[in-house]
Amino acid sequence: MNDNRERPEQSEDLEEMLQRLWPEVRRRHLYPELPLPRFDKSGSPVGMEIRNKQIILNVDYIEAMAQLLPVETILEALLDHGVSHYTCCPWDLATHLRLYARAKKILGDNDLARTAADLFMDVVADTHAVRERQSSLPQLYRSGARTPLEEVIFSLYEEIWGVDLGGKRNQDAVKRLVAIPYLDKRRWLASLTRFIRGIRPLLEETKSSSPDEQTRMGRHGFQQYAPEEIEQALREFARDADSPEEFAEVLEYLQNELESPCDKSGEDMGHGAGSPVEANRLYYMKLAENYALPLRKMPLKDSGHLHPHSHRPWEVCQPFQDLDPWSSFGKYLPGITQIWERREGLIYGKKEKTPNCLVIIDSSGSMVDPRSQLSYAVLGGGCAADAYLRHDASVAVYNFSDAPAGGREYLSFTRSRPLIYKVLCRYFGGGTALDVDEVTSVALEDDPDIFLITDMQITNLDQTVSRFSRLKNRVTAVHVGKKSGALRFIKASVKNKNISVFGVNDTNDIPRIVLGSVRNYLALE
Amino acid sequence: MFNPFEDFKDFLSKAKNLPLDRLAAAHDQIMGDLAAGYGKLVEQELKSLVWFVEHNRVIEAYKTATEVIKEVSYDAHSIEDFCYVLDSGTDIPYLISGPAGIYIAALCNNADEDAIVLRLGEMKRTLHFLGYRLPYGKSLRVEGDAGNFTGSALQGGEVTVTGSTGDWAGAGMTEGKISIHKHCGRNTGEWMQGGEIWVGSRIRGLGRVASGQIYQAGEPVGPA
Amino acid sequence: MENGTYRHTARKLYDFIQSNLYFNRPDLQVGGEQFNSTLLFSLLTALLGGKALIIGEPGLGKTTAAEYVGSLLYQLPAGTVWASEVSGHPEQTEEKIIGRPDLGKLNTGQEEVVWSHFVQLPVKIVDEINRLPETKQSMILDGVDRGNWEYLNEMILNDEYCLFATANYQDQGTNTIIAPLLDRFDVMVESRYPGPSYAFLISQRQEKEELLRHPDLERELQEVLKEKLPPEEKKSRLGAISESFGTYLQESLQLSTLDSASREKVRQHISAVGLDQDANAYARMLLAELSFCERHGQKRSSEVCEEGCHYTGYLCHRLRNCASNRLPVSLANYAKALAWFTDAGEVGIEEIRAVGPYCLAHRAQWTDTHLSLLQKDRRDDPLQIHLARQAISEVYQRYSEQAERVKAALANAYRIFQGEVLEPLAGDHPIYAEIRKDLNLEE
Repeated sequence: MNDNRERPEQSEDLEEMLQRLWPEVRRRHLYPELPLPRFDKSGSPVGMEIRNKQIILNVDYIEAMAQLLPVETILEALLDHGVSHYTCCPWDLATHLRLYARAKKILGDNDLARTAADLFMDVVADTHAVRERQSSLPQLYRSGARTPLEEVIFSLYEEIWGVDLGGKRNQDAVKRLVAIPYLDKRRWLASLTRFIRGIRPLLEETKSSSPDEQTRMGRHGFQQYAPEEIEQALREFARDADSPEEFAEVLEYLQNELESPCDKSGEDMGHGAGSPVEANRLYYMKLAENYALPLRKMPLKDSGHLHPHSHRPWEVCQPFQDLDPWSSFGKYLPGITQIWERREGLIYGKKEKTPNCLVIIDSSGSMVDPRSQLSYAVLGGGCAADAYLRHDASVAVYNFSDAPAGGREYLSFTRSRPLIYKVLCRYFGGGTALDVDEVTSVALEDDPDIFLITDMQITNLDQTVSRFSRLKNRVTAVHVGKKSGALRFIKASVKNKNISVFGVNDTNDIPRIVLGSVRNYLALE
Repeated sequence: MFNPFEDFKDFLSKAKNLPLDRLAAAHDQIMGDLAAGYGKLVEQELKSLVWFVEHNRVIEAYKTATEVIKEVSYDAHSIEDFCYVLDSGTDIPYLISGPAGIYIAALCNNADEDAIVLRLGEMKRTLHFLGYRLPYGKSLRVEGDAGNFTGSALQGGEVTVTGSTGDWAGAGMTEGKISIHKHCGRNTGEWMQGGEIWVGSRIRGLGRVASGQIYQAGEPVGPA
Repeated sequence: MENGTYRHTARKLYDFIQSNLYFNRPDLQVGGEQFNSTLLFSLLTALLGGKALIIGEPGLGKTTAAEYVGSLLYQLPAGTVWASEVSGHPEQTEEKIIGRPDLGKLNTGQEEVVWSHFVQLPVKIVDEINRLPETKQSMILDGVDRGNWEYLNEMILNDEYCLFATANYQDQGTNTIIAPLLDRFDVMVESRYPGPSYAFLISQRQEKEELLRHPDLERELQEVLKEKLPPEEKKSRLGAISESFGTYLQESLQLSTLDSASREKVRQHISAVGLDQDANAYARMLLAELSFCERHGQKRSSEVCEEGCHYTGYLCHRLRNCASNRLPVSLANYAKALAWFTDAGEVGIEEIRAVGPYCLAHRAQWTDTHLSLLQKDRRDDPLQIHLARQAISEVYQRYSEQAERVKAALANAYRIFQGEVLEPLAGDHPIYAEIRKDLNLEE
């Protein structure tokens, strides 16, 4: 409890009341895993503390409202509101992010989007509490001064809850909002879209007022989420986001509130999640995690030798040679005498070292810029890198545009995931030429498996093909679109079994092709 | 035989029935009915495999649309929501702009409300024929862009588009007013018999206007 | 004694072990109280007569937790508990685990069995069970399941017993307890590193084990255990010595313990604890997700989930196996015991959620894809308990959203089953499909 000594006497009573009411509120809400809430003197009427998920109630607000309503009713209503956010909407950061990102996509403006998503979550959580948990929220909303936004939202409540909240009936303003299935979680994104359509003019009108003045329940912070939730949510959000830009924009806006998962995991993201380039890298890292390949188990095989494994009682028909006199009390009697049960041992098969991996990625002007659109080439490279890293191998990245003219970046074999993604996400946007000598020297260094992802518009393609066909490395070439250059590679692959060429028209397939090759190379089940 | 649900013999629900349940269910029902009506129209129109904009074809489609919506009860907001259902491509996988627009126009023309506002700004696609045959005494405000044939065959109603429209805006209109806040495309006012078209910004091309008036940024520009 | 007194005694025993013997951080919150899961579940196992698998790193108190609980709950001096332990290694024999022929008598042509302490005493501890051959693991679990032990032509019956088995981490690399055997355990808990402060405290309290020693009584017990007596007489003499140990604990540590009759009463009280409708409906919803397959009728380890199945978001899609019938038994028993222990009156959803991860962790076989997706996640628990906790929490959220509807669907099903002509309630969850199946209605 914060600063008990300064609390006025009434607050002491409040605490007793809270202790009495909390078990009942928890029971009504089906026992959420939340500790006893506490009081504070600042912030919105009800909020949640980071990490230990403790609801915080604003004692000033309660005291002010106590002039109009019994304190018990106020406390119960505030707790219902807070708990409903925890148990119903948004429930987790992934949902919160998804709702916010959808609002941002529609409204463009960060603050408007924030307000819209917050309002929507309030409507869902409040409606859930009123419908399912016999909440006293209507009594709270019936009292106290209202902001213009609250006038509309409370009119909506009057319509959808069938109660009189004593405000100005504002049926026209809420006409678009009343038939939205707020409690159907599967339709939340579509419902939010409809909600925003209905409330947009009002949002734009009230934009100038500060967020905490817009509704009494204030803003829903992103700080309340724990690092493990953030990791999972970013992975899901990367999958759902339409483009790296959308991911980067949302992350950039929330950077101060969200504790970057990479800050803690030593992944060398530093303070960078906020800058577009870093957010971009995080996007591909998180997205690639969704394509995880199962880990290979060390293969076990029969050893070819029988060994005494365990005892069992001897039966008359069984041979003598396996009798164990030491466990048989010196007796040769069926049922007492013990015989060794022999089994063929299992040993670990020959442990083949997983080869390292070299990802050669084309970032010339004809390839998609990974910062503005989802680049399946980068994602494919990322999936390959992740799979090899997970098998304790190292990964090198050769990102090229016009390599002989300096348009290339080479990352030598490393196990640092952030560095790998940094180089994978680099975009040159120039011409396309490989420095064949350089690539060959890397390929000879450690016989890595090679993944070449390009649109085959390489100016020195003949040289590249002939050099690759002389290599012993396993090469997977993934080419995007139907380009004549690919034919030359395909011809080379007919002669050389170490080269596999995949043409894709739908770039979506790149990660799958890459993972297919990895699966093949690493002999995964 | 033992009843495996015995423990719930005395269950009494504490959940309140809120008006929301009824409202949301009714809305879903309307969307379902509208989708079914649209399905019938498309079925009728696709008999000839390809849909061309021909005068008779449009009239026929409108007639079918008016017929299929007779039994459906809906309001102006449902029309807007249905536009998004069409646009989403998930609930109705066959949005064909021509018939879809004619269907929406029929819904607007037969709605109980006289003033209809469609906030279509977030739609990925635009609908053609919005405001087609809008009768006198009715107004349609489209917030966002509209496709081709906006306000075509207008019959005295008032069509406002806060964004831009495609080609053939006001084609064959007889009376009424079309206001387009931004640009409009080619053949604007083709076969126009009367009424006014007000365009806030660029007109890509005027059609052969028989009668009526076209204004661009407040200045009369047609008929030539 | 009253129910409340028994509970008070059990609570005092928990507090005593926590404060004096097994130092560890609390990691579980129930009814606003903090508990250490290893200690709590060990105690509930002893009270219930259940089977607990305790996993953890070597030297982090897996076995000692069980020893302390076994000693105090069953009034057995620590030395006797140690002497009855079976330690797991590949060469372990049936003779050392169950009993052996009386060699003297065997030489005179008589078959007589000398039973091991392990089968005679109610507290059964198997150290490193995963190192035992499967046949021996199975033998122990069979014996414990049925409460009878056989050797040659003799049999011994246990009317009261509990099993604690310890094992190294049950990850893919070291898993040598096969799934059917794992399923026999009611709960799996992890004995964790207590943190540097508690660890240091342990170093300062090395004499703590002496608190539960009593060499004289241990010798007496040893004598009685060796004697060939009629079962009732043996039981009564063992009980008398145990009670003497109880008196000793009362006098030396001011610690009340439970005698055999009291433990039986406690079991009756626990068994009488009811489940509220939310706990009941939630448990059904959980079981539905753990066993449902729309395509193949139920989950089967041999069948793979289809891509694009409507139920992809539910647990069934991530699981390889089907929940066994032992899971709901463990779930209900431990939830009841927990409700009794915390004086909750009846089992609510909170108790089911609290025990759920520990009942499910060792039983759920997740798909490789699910494992590889989540194994790198930040977490406090070992992967299996973490995944089970997530699963329990996920189902809780789904239940929380539609609690009233699920209960209404079950109530409606009751009426249909009784013959009323009603339409079953529909919804988007396997439970609704399972209800239809129970009612023998086609989908």
